[in-house]
Amino acid sequence: MTTTTIPAVGGRTISAAPAARPKRRRSWAWLGLVPFFAFIFLFLLVPAISVFSEALKNKDGKFGFDSMREAFRGQNLEAFKFSVKFSAGAAAVGVVVGTLLAYAAATAKRPKWLRSLVTSFSGVAANLGGLPLAFAFLSLLGRQGLLTKIIKALGWDLYAGDFGLGEVPGLITVYSYFNIPLMVLITLPAIDGLKASWREASSNLGGTSFTYWRRVGLPVLMPSLLGGFLLLFANSFSAYATAKILTDNSKIVSLRLGFFLGGDISVGQDAIGYSLAAWMIIIMAVAMGLYWMLRKRAERWQT
Amino acid sequence: MADINPLVPGPPLQIDPEVGGPPTAPIGGIPPRAGRPLARFGRIGPNLVLVICGLFFAFPLIALARYSLQNVPTVLLGAHNLFDKWSWNGITLVFHDPHFQPTLYLSLRLALGTVVLTLGLLLPTAIWVHMRLPKMRAVIEFITVLPYVIPAIAMVAGIIVVKPHARWFLNSDYSLIPFYVILALPFTYRSIDAGLRSIDLKTLVDASRSLGAGWGTTLRRALIPNLRTAIISSAFLTTAVVLGEFTIASTLLKNTLPTFQATFLAVNAQAGYGFNLLALVATTVLFAMLSVVTRKRGSRASRMDAKMGDKQDPFKNDAVAFAAISRHESGTA
Repeated sequence: MTTTTIPAVGGRTISAAPAARPKRRRSWAWLGLVPFFAFIFLFLLVPAISVFSEALKNKDGKFGFDSMREAFRGQNLEAFKFSVKFSAGAAAVGVVVGTLLAYAAATAKRPKWLRSLVTSFSGVAANLGGLPLAFAFLSLLGRQGLLTKIIKALGWDLYAGDFGLGEVPGLITVYSYFNIPLMVLITLPAIDGLKASWREASSNLGGTSFTYWRRVGLPVLMPSLLGGFLLLFANSFSAYATAKILTDNSKIVSLRLGFFLGGDISVGQDAIGYSLAAWMIIIMAVAMGLYWMLRKRAERWQT
Repeated sequence: MADINPLVPGPPLQIDPEVGGPPTAPIGGIPPRAGRPLARFGRIGPNLVLVICGLFFAFPLIALARYSLQNVPTVLLGAHNLFDKWSWNGITLVFHDPHFQPTLYLSLRLALGTVVLTLGLLLPTAIWVHMRLPKMRAVIEFITVLPYVIPAIAMVAGIIVVKPHARWFLNSDYSLIPFYVILALPFTYRSIDAGLRSIDLKTLVDASRSLGAGWGTTLRRALIPNLRTAIISSAFLTTAVVLGEFTIASTLLKNTLPTFQATFLAVNAQAGYGFNLLALVATTVLFAMLSVVTRKRGSRASRMDAKMGDKQDPFKNDAVAFAAISRHESGTA
């Protein structure tokens, strides 16, 4: 196809080709993708397929769903419930606060640098996961944390109840640190896509601020917000290192899987570990699949 | 909208300033005092959000900094010793640990290898797709999100299954590189794809080819200089991910910087926290450098940035956001 312009410049022999070439070219063009697909196959699909091939084996080594069922029962099921609970909570907090923050930054006029400060900081903070963040929160809200001490001095013992950085409220607090800025990054383009003329149109028709948000603003933002929720959910659900440093709570699926892989749980149950991994992949596939669909819808308003 | 406004006087114009309405020049008739108090009142909510978020994001950093720099246990901390025993020891100790250098060098080599392999694989592929197979773009884009579907910890499970058949390969520390390329795929592909979309690829290639350049020269002298921003940002983000990758390295027992970082705490708690403070600062510097470098280089994308004022290129944000997810999944330091 590119050669079609060359005749215009160079002029001679090639000018006869265009009619014939596209067909021949197209049939061989896919060859250029072979290295990429081979790479994906070897290093992404082979590990994924081997997880499922192990997960779908019964104790006698034959095909069956026993271990998949076992991995979704009893303590394992509790772990999935717990993980889904805190991931959904962390995603909800991230979506609400992140959107409010993005809106506050996008509409702020006064200090001109505010908006770029918020976006730059969000880029950094969204990337501050893992070990340093876990340690920062341990030194802030751990049993010997700075804020724990300050709050205690004010007369409220944080650890009197069953608070812990490895429990639902604690995990949501910590994960919010990267979920909120991540939501800011995701949702800013959508908020910029809200045209001022829509708001003017709404008020010209007699609508209040509330009607504007209910009838125009939120419906337009909805795909982005739901997509953001799914992405943050997936993000929290699959996070490993942050949780690993914060707690050794085996109710968190990713940590539980880590224990299986590290051999901390009895050897005869290998297949259960792979089945946990398989279930994780399935849950992530559902979340990311829905995200993908919503994202395509959301892009409609962002041109 | 300029057509409508003059027709309908009064109320709608008051709401305009609150929204932060853009270019519509304020029309003579608005009484400024009627608009302003409303606008100021409307800012209370957003300002509160900004302040609370600011505190939430500052507190953990302050606590970490105090713990690393002041050698007073939090239990004993009080008004009387608030200013005692501050020193850099908590931060410098790590450099004297014999495991620090080898793990750092291994992580740096892995980062370099990952960047080179990523660019070597993705640049030709993305260019090829844009030139010859535009219909495949959606497919490729979908494939590049797959690493999110398979969390790093699940990928490790798969690697463990395969291990007995590929010991010769997986025993090497460098076997981590291809998996890191996969891990980085969602945002490296996205930023290169965005870069390609912002240039007129066909014209560039045709011009270069008609001047007699081969594909190699075209890539080197015409395309790479124009894709500089995309290449630099994906290299930076990849480096950030690799230097922090914990999940795969620790389960496969490789001695990279983050696995050392996790064990160093047992050697000296305060220095362990100090090292994490250092890692935080390093990450921040890396990202600050990224935004400076990508802003200065004169590609078309950054010129567009400048034209759009402080509204940043959404695709760049996108790449940074995707990088963040890869980092959480895999650990990150």
